[in-house]
Amino acid sequence: MGAFVNALDQEPWRFIISFLVIIVLTLNTAAILTLAERKVAGYIQLRYGPNRTGFRGILQPAADVIKLFVKENVAPGRADRWVFLAAPIAMFIPAAVIWMVVPFAPKAVVTNLNIGLLFVVSTTSIGALGVIMAGYGSHSNFSLLGALRGAAQMISYEVPLILSLLGTIILTGSLSLSDVVDKQAGGFWHWYIWSQLPMFAVFYIASIAEVKRVPFDLPEGESEIVGGYQIEYSGMTWAMIQASEFASMGLMSAITVTLFLGGWQPPFEFLDLGNFDWIWFSLKAALVMFTLQWVRWSVPRFRMDQLMDLGWKVLVPLSLVWLLVTAAGTLIVG
Amino acid sequence: MIAVFVVLACMTLLSAFGVVISRSVVHSALFMAGAFLGVAGFYVMLHSPALAALQVLIYVGAVTVVILFGIMFTQKPQARRFRVILNRQVWGGFVVAAGIAAILIYVFLEQDWGGTSPGHGPRLVAQLGRILVGTGGAPQIFGLLFEGSSVLLLVATVAAIVISRRRPEQPTERGGE
Repeated sequence: MGAFVNALDQEPWRFIISFLVIIVLTLNTAAILTLAERKVAGYIQLRYGPNRTGFRGILQPAADVIKLFVKENVAPGRADRWVFLAAPIAMFIPAAVIWMVVPFAPKAVVTNLNIGLLFVVSTTSIGALGVIMAGYGSHSNFSLLGALRGAAQMISYEVPLILSLLGTIILTGSLSLSDVVDKQAGGFWHWYIWSQLPMFAVFYIASIAEVKRVPFDLPEGESEIVGGYQIEYSGMTWAMIQASEFASMGLMSAITVTLFLGGWQPPFEFLDLGNFDWIWFSLKAALVMFTLQWVRWSVPRFRMDQLMDLGWKVLVPLSLVWLLVTAAGTLIVG
Repeated sequence: MIAVFVVLACMTLLSAFGVVISRSVVHSALFMAGAFLGVAGFYVMLHSPALAALQVLIYVGAVTVVILFGIMFTQKPQARRFRVILNRQVWGGFVVAAGIAAILIYVFLEQDWGGTSPGHGPRLVAQLGRILVGTGGAPQIFGLLFEGSSVLLLVATVAAIVISRRRPEQPTERGGE
């Protein structure tokens, strides 16, 4: 038995198994988050949310998946078929692949890339391509408008997103996410959120914009462009887009936790659970996901000019200033 | 290793071919993203993941997206005819391409590569960072100068936008209100 486990711990089996686990995790995160989203929305709006399927609606994701599987896949007649069908895949793959560098527990990471953070930002940036493909491939004016808004928003907010990571990189001296987590060991007062509070705020806001959630949901904008780049999708292609959006929301929470909230580090040292530290990771990630949902059901949508003003005139200067402060502080202290 | 190389080479070359002969400009841009991704794969094979990540970030995530953005803002995506693609410069193009290929093949075959194997050069990210901020020594100051010129270009672009922007029209007098 031990020899068998050891054999599985070698490449390529280790990689194959852990990658399959990542895919399952991504899909399940997406499915569970759809339920959580509707439940949170329900309770915030003083109603129940889905509560008919299973105990308190706990089987709703399964029902949704079955419904979407049996639904017909309709593509518009004038659509650019290959681009139309490739777009959901181009959106989903980045959201799934980035989980590979997230450390879940001590030594529990698929590949400990020494350029982990660079990998995260570079793979996130492919997502904008998927949005444009969806908008262009649908051959619909609403889709194209949504895609243009989405691309503009995503490439604008990538700048503060990347800048806000630099403070953490300076403090850690490494781009590996495992090193970032290791540096935050020893109680919650060592987490980077305290010394990097402005960067945390910038990263949090920019990550909401990056996953296109309210108040940054202009690319979807139900009330003006009825659904943006995803109008023409139905059945499994639509489900794929939704899955990738929820998966990237979960992913952004996981990255936030890893960078600023200590990853799998317990809040106090005596609460260390050893190999079960992933419980801390999941608890913190779930908390961040809940705040994202809380924001979504509490605030109205931005206007386009407000969106751009916030990104370029507030977030970018703020992160640049705090980057200088961090660099100067590191230079003075040691 | 060979299999990975063949897959990447096919991906890069087919995508590059697609860029040239596809009838729609948008398809060309998307094919270009595929070619860039293939090149990023080559960087990974050469043990330079940092370069691969930067390639994806800059070329796929920024350049291609901006190109697509520009196409969609300025013109209606429409199909070109093959006659437009294969215009009379095609033979000149062939000659130039064959010449470059011949020179490259000559250099690769004639050069004595000795015991060099990929990934053994000084490709540390820390070193790259020092070069980028100009503290790597005397010759590396060029990295900093290059960055300075890019900032200058950015300022020039912003200035061009500011100068060419139309002033908001003066509120015209309208009767009634």
